[in-house]
Amino acid sequence: MRASRRQFLKTASLMSMAGVAGPFALNLAAIGAASAQAAPGYRAIVCLFLYGGNDHTNTLIPYDQPSYDQYLAARDTIAIARDQLAATATGAVASQGGREFAFHPALTSFKARWDEGKLAVVANVGPLVVPTTKTQYSNRSVPLPPKLFSHNDQQSVWQAQAPLGEGAKLGWGGRIGDLLAGQNTNVQFTCISAGGNAVFLSGQNVIQYQVGSSGPVAISGISGTLYSSASAAAAYRNLITGTSANLFENELGVITNRSITSNQLLSASLPPASTFPLPNPTSNLASQLNVVARIISARSALGTNRQVFLVSLGGFDNHDSLLTQHNQQLTIANAALNAFYGWLGQMGVQNDVTIFTASDFGRTLTSNGDGSDHGWGSHHFVLGGSVLGHEIYGTLPPTAFGTSVDVGQGNMVPGIAVDQYAATFARWLGVSDTNVPLVVPNVVNFGTSRYLAFL
Amino acid sequence: MLRHATAPDSTQRSDPGFRGYHSGVGFRNICVALFALALAYLAGGCSKSGGPHGPEGSGVDLSSVPPSAYPLPSATDAARFLNQASFGATEAEVNKVKTYGYSAWLEDQFFMPGRSHEAYINAVSASLPSGQSLDDSHVMNTFWREAATGQDQLRRRVAFALSQLFVVSLQDSTVSEFKRGVASYLDMLGRNAFGSYRQLLNEVTLHPMMGLYLSHLRNRKEDPARNRVPDQNYAREVMQLFSIGLYELNPDGTPKLVNGQPVETYDSDDIVGLSRVFTGFSWAGPDKSDTRFNGGGTQDPDREVLFMQSYPRFHSISEKRFLTGVIPAGTNADPDGDLRVALDTIASHPNVGPFISRQLIQRLVTSNPSPAYVARVAQAFDAGRFTSGLWTTGTGQRGDLRATVAAILLDTEARTAARLADPGFGKVREPILRVAHWMRSFNARSSSGNFLLGVTDDATASLGQSAMRSPTVFNFYRPGYVPPNTSIATAGLVAPEMQIVNEVSVVGYSNFMRSAVQNGLGSGTPRDIQPDYTAELALADNADLLIDRVSLLLTAGSMSAATRTIIRDAVNSIAMPATNQTTARLNRVRLAVFFTLSSPEYLVQK
Repeated sequence: MRASRRQFLKTASLMSMAGVAGPFALNLAAIGAASAQAAPGYRAIVCLFLYGGNDHTNTLIPYDQPSYDQYLAARDTIAIARDQLAATATGAVASQGGREFAFHPALTSFKARWDEGKLAVVANVGPLVVPTTKTQYSNRSVPLPPKLFSHNDQQSVWQAQAPLGEGAKLGWGGRIGDLLAGQNTNVQFTCISAGGNAVFLSGQNVIQYQVGSSGPVAISGISGTLYSSASAAAAYRNLITGTSANLFENELGVITNRSITSNQLLSASLPPASTFPLPNPTSNLASQLNVVARIISARSALGTNRQVFLVSLGGFDNHDSLLTQHNQQLTIANAALNAFYGWLGQMGVQNDVTIFTASDFGRTLTSNGDGSDHGWGSHHFVLGGSVLGHEIYGTLPPTAFGTSVDVGQGNMVPGIAVDQYAATFARWLGVSDTNVPLVVPNVVNFGTSRYLAFL
Repeated sequence: MLRHATAPDSTQRSDPGFRGYHSGVGFRNICVALFALALAYLAGGCSKSGGPHGPEGSGVDLSSVPPSAYPLPSATDAARFLNQASFGATEAEVNKVKTYGYSAWLEDQFFMPGRSHEAYINAVSASLPSGQSLDDSHVMNTFWREAATGQDQLRRRVAFALSQLFVVSLQDSTVSEFKRGVASYLDMLGRNAFGSYRQLLNEVTLHPMMGLYLSHLRNRKEDPARNRVPDQNYAREVMQLFSIGLYELNPDGTPKLVNGQPVETYDSDDIVGLSRVFTGFSWAGPDKSDTRFNGGGTQDPDREVLFMQSYPRFHSISEKRFLTGVIPAGTNADPDGDLRVALDTIASHPNVGPFISRQLIQRLVTSNPSPAYVARVAQAFDAGRFTSGLWTTGTGQRGDLRATVAAILLDTEARTAARLADPGFGKVREPILRVAHWMRSFNARSSSGNFLLGVTDDATASLGQSAMRSPTVFNFYRPGYVPPNTSIATAGLVAPEMQIVNEVSVVGYSNFMRSAVQNGLGSGTPRDIQPDYTAELALADNADLLIDRVSLLLTAGSMSAATRTIIRDAVNSIAMPATNQTTARLNRVRLAVFFTLSSPEYLVQK
């Protein structure tokens, strides 16, 4: 049941000919180009999606005294006290006019990676169709992303191409997978989610493979003796993987079949979970990253050279109890990412794997008394041995109201588009310049600054 | 009569409704509704069997309910109806529907009393050993008990559907502190399942579990001096998820297009305006002190099951502009009056009928209703009345959910067997429905009486879904979810429940059901919840008769010849010995049940 590269190309070509591929049709030339320039060795990206909309203002806090005073004035009861920030302060950042910042006090490993030059901050990144100013936003004089400030819509805008919203079908992680899957023997392990169903990993041809945080598990009913019958297990497998004229029934059979065949491959290849000891505090996120590490470590056996992973952590919609809840979630993220980076070192692939954060949106600078509300632009983090760290990319606006990017309540019109952020990862993984617009179509609207310099 | 209609369970004391109508709007509405209900009920020609009606039945005389447009159904048609209208067909209910018809069954269910989740929680709480406290599993257990054995099945099924539209979740760390509150919330949905949408929206808004979940409990007015604005959470989600949705809709649920583009129903300014309405509400109690508003001091011991009360001091007096409504700036804070205006404005939006109707159809009948189906149901919602044959139901007030539910279940698109052949018809059964169905069809009983199944979140080892434990306010799945890279997507269809079907969940479900069919479910040794296969065991010697029965109960007799062949051969692979046949019979029954429950034909409710 191995889906070889040859089969993949055949499928891709059939789908293109059948006309189901849509406006960004994958063509064989595109795959060929991507494959031809394939770098030797292994590379992967891991998206950590922070569901709910991370409060960026309390994730990277202005620290030099004048900046901090602005922050405190703006945030009032949801500001973090300055004396809690000394241990995670960045020092003066030249690209930001010498201003200083501090990571949230829970993010001690972020600070450590920053100091090592392995963690970069991308300031004020968010969905944009074209470069957009505050005035253009106010006048609606340029195309804007749909349904700003809405959770599920903005999750989809971050992760997907048009059509956006609930019916989104194409994610940019999946599109990267489409273009690079030819480098993998087992195409089904190109785009893997350990963090739940996410459109991010769905391509035109590449299918999101979901794996549990405890790793592969077998359907017990398809082997051995079933209710005293020696033949029933084979019949059971036929039954649950059968085809049907009903589209829903048929798809259930398809998924079950994929589950069985993938499980057999993974079970035979993955090292035990204990290979990568879980951190303290441990968490479901740490377990998700644990299974990702196990899959990466089986890359030779699985024949995978290019992979896109997604892991996730919820609990960031902090309308209420921001200081407490946000601290809890960031503590989990900090420990899990610290452990994962260590596991990558254990495998010798720190330079080959890049981790980045994403989230529904940033949050308002204004306080609602106990929390913050839905925003737009946000700060994000990129971690890995290949990252040109100890730097803030883009411009971190003053943490104040009425700035040149404030579209109300301190919400920021993004200075960097998600498409630019995504394009940077796509190129690093080996997608050609020509093909990057197949991954993020709107990147062509950003002229010569399609890529950011952190990779 | 009225008692049954409005108080299906015995929660009068702890029922938030009884202390929650502070605004007056609730009380007035319910009086109007009750009066109209009484008229409609009499006009419908239903008669009671006379005398006081105990909790054992609805009191409706089934034989006197006017017939719907449909003839008395066959067993398979009855089972199919019950799989949409309840947590799964049973032999007894199939016979009831066959004998009396759809309208009588619905009428009976509309007035069927039931048990209270909150009462269950209270009883458990009182019996806990000292040092132990309630946990989420207790809320799950009362849900399972009623899904499996509650006689008010239609109300339960609709309440479960409503719990996926008006989501609160024990996954939220604050909400999860209040198990009794969540049980009361589920009771509230059940109490309103056949009532008015406007009343439901009021009670959803004011229930403290929603107040905690979407953080309008303890929400304060703006304070410009400190750059503080009201929390916008509820203002946003009440419009996006609970009433009108993102885009203007035609009466058939399709988006209105202007120059080919959908038209947004609201923008950020509407959110800002509406957010000021939802300020100044917090915990109920005997006074309105600032301390109580903030959750401190001596708390009312029932606050988690009492509707929130208003605290004018914390309510915004600024202008509130949203949708078609404007509440001018004032000098006196009027939180209850502002709330009434806001909810009236939202509830009267023309989107509500198609928006709510379409999602209820998706929860009960099919993922992709035709626009005409949605339009017919929305019309019943708007008219507050539904007629089929000689039977009429509903109060005649807009937003009548009884009429809406009847319109959904008796629509030709739901009832005609011709739809079975449509490759896009039906809906993937969500895991909770599958397990509840197994419990019902095979008369599962709990030896403790408490259905100790608990939380079933883990997709790897159980169901990947627990009632009242949605990951977010966006429910377990979205009504518009399209599974990428599938023939479903190519066909332009949605499949909400497929959002939680994946390579992991198919393993978890199969292994979970194998174990359930074999050993029962829940904690304890033997396990607390045990099926009763007596009727199936009696047929086990003949594979065809056995499969007929299992197929009727689980698939409404729609099992294909190919699937039947696989299962028959597998059943017959278990030889019947000449003596001591008990084990072989049991194995055959278990195999037939497990195979059917695992078959894609079962997993899609059609």
